[in-house]
Amino acid sequence: MAVTTSLRTRLALAAGQLAAAASRMAGRGEGQIIGGTVALKMAPDALRELAGNRVQALVSATNGKTSTTRLLATALSQQGPVASASTGANMPEGILWALSTAPFDAPAVLEVDEAWLPTVLEATQARVVLLGNLSRDQLDRMSEVAMLARTWRRMLEHNPDVIVVANADDPIVTYAAEKAKNVVWVAAGQSWTSDSSVCPECGTLLTRDEKTWSCTGCGRSRPWASWALEWNGTSGEAVSATGHRYDLSGLRLPGKFNASNATMALAVCEELGLDLRRAVELMSAVTAVSGRYAVVPAGELKVRLLLAKNPAGWSELLDIMPPAPTPVIVMINANHADGRDPSWLWDVPFERLRGRTVIASGNRRRDLAVRLLHAGVDTFVSEDPFAPGAELPASVRELDVIDCAATYTAFQAIRTANLGGKVDG
Amino acid sequence: MTKLVRIASIYPTLLGTYGDGGNVAALRHIAALHGIGVDVHEVSPGMDVPRDADIYVLGGGEDTAQVAAANALRASGALPDAVSNGAAVLAICAGYQILGHTFPDATSEASPGLGLIDVYTDRLPTRAVGELLATSSEVAGKLTGYENHGGATHLGSGVQPLAKVSEGVGNGDGTEGAISGRVIGTYLHGPALVRNPELAEKLLGWAVGRELPHIEEAQVAALREERIRFAREASEKSHR
Repeated sequence: MAVTTSLRTRLALAAGQLAAAASRMAGRGEGQIIGGTVALKMAPDALRELAGNRVQALVSATNGKTSTTRLLATALSQQGPVASASTGANMPEGILWALSTAPFDAPAVLEVDEAWLPTVLEATQARVVLLGNLSRDQLDRMSEVAMLARTWRRMLEHNPDVIVVANADDPIVTYAAEKAKNVVWVAAGQSWTSDSSVCPECGTLLTRDEKTWSCTGCGRSRPWASWALEWNGTSGEAVSATGHRYDLSGLRLPGKFNASNATMALAVCEELGLDLRRAVELMSAVTAVSGRYAVVPAGELKVRLLLAKNPAGWSELLDIMPPAPTPVIVMINANHADGRDPSWLWDVPFERLRGRTVIASGNRRRDLAVRLLHAGVDTFVSEDPFAPGAELPASVRELDVIDCAATYTAFQAIRTANLGGKVDG
Repeated sequence: MTKLVRIASIYPTLLGTYGDGGNVAALRHIAALHGIGVDVHEVSPGMDVPRDADIYVLGGGEDTAQVAAANALRASGALPDAVSNGAAVLAICAGYQILGHTFPDATSEASPGLGLIDVYTDRLPTRAVGELLATSSEVAGKLTGYENHGGATHLGSGVQPLAKVSEGVGNGDGTEGAISGRVIGTYLHGPALVRNPELAEKLLGWAVGRELPHIEEAQVAALREERIRFAREASEKSHR
């Protein structure tokens, strides 16, 4: 897979490397975004050139794209080195950087921001695109869900050769993918249905039972799925079209949603001709993804870091926390990258945390405290539970490790303080 | 306990994008503080809209969902009937626009609303996104919330503004929301009744036929104080 890069692209990348180095020296972070931005400005075709024909898969979804990308890239590593953004940088700048810093002939698996997916697919001509789920996310700056689905639908009309691996259990994703020429449907599950209660085509309230959905208005229904996740409450099995079963109980990433991510990744692996048993083994070795699920010291405590950015993601996290009365820390920020409006707190079923004390923190801890008050959850508000000598309930200090679930910027603050430039500790 | 206050949550699947389900939660919570029982009825598209509820709650929503909700409500006719029989309505953002004569659809064409209050909505030059702070003669405290809309709402002679804007955009002309009898429309998310419990007490008071005293909760007071201060400081910075 030789890649020929133009002089212009090589110069642009060199300038990008300079900018990235300067950013790192100034202590501004890992430098990927600024590096990629500089390179893209100087050579707009750089992404197309660097992609060549080596991009195996693009992964997009509202939730789980970083974890799914990591699982898939790890599975693909059975064939040798893989190019993949290791920190969840998922816009063209970050993707360009991931491609330029890996060996030029390494196959690539790339996470892509939902809104940027059409641009990146057009430029990279990836073999497979994985479409996981779509739900409400940061409405002060992101598109509405139905609008994104229409954009994806048009994208697949313009790129008829790409193989689409799509979640059949999400009606919005189904709507986006249904006209594609090559679709592998995966029954990967959908725990959050509030953004797909009505048919995206005709607006009729969808009919749902435990496994399927259908529309009485226009007759569309959940497509027949080649792959399915079978979940028994604590662990799962991925079942292929040919009836082969792949035990996912060895996955170190927790929860049904990660088993669902692994099932979708496995469906992509099959399309790429990989050894699927080996793929499961490799995926099972992944313990943390860019700090998610990592256990790190924070002040006088040791925390398991959990990240959620929107109601669907939060809803999933609440399910993997230890049961009551174990206390947990919840940190809500509303900085630019989190979305400025935390009204979505009212869409999260925090009632599930009843019977324990929740340490409410983050710069919108007061919004959280009121949400928990209405949910009937005992709350302890703390501006910074990790400050030296912070006042905390005894039940918190007694724990070896406490779950700390946080929005993006709160999560990043703890992650970078502990893991520095390293991706995972 | 006397009679239950009947609350109808109108099409939360279409009009509930911005956490507005919290308004129904707040009515339930605040009613309990006052020893009032509630019976919440969630109305999904395709179901009959009840004609006998005491309080109707409509939230915000996406453009296409807004048109679908307006069409279904016009076909039903239940809401104007209930209002003429004394029911109260709280409508947020897209829901507020639906109550008026017309509102812009996804292509900015005027789409018909219910005409329940004398307002119509067209487009603001730029979308209003940010903290909204306003003063209303209806409640003692400031109104605080978060606005996220592209609509400019114009009030006719048959309706009063709900409040005067201190920080933010609101209707677009210095006023915020509208009130006509027991029908309240507003651009306040947050959710509105969580951040402004006095408004919830007003709606519940209408339903039970007596004015409710304000019950303050420390957590809510702390949140209100923080958001009001934040809105003022943000505005000072931008005016500097």
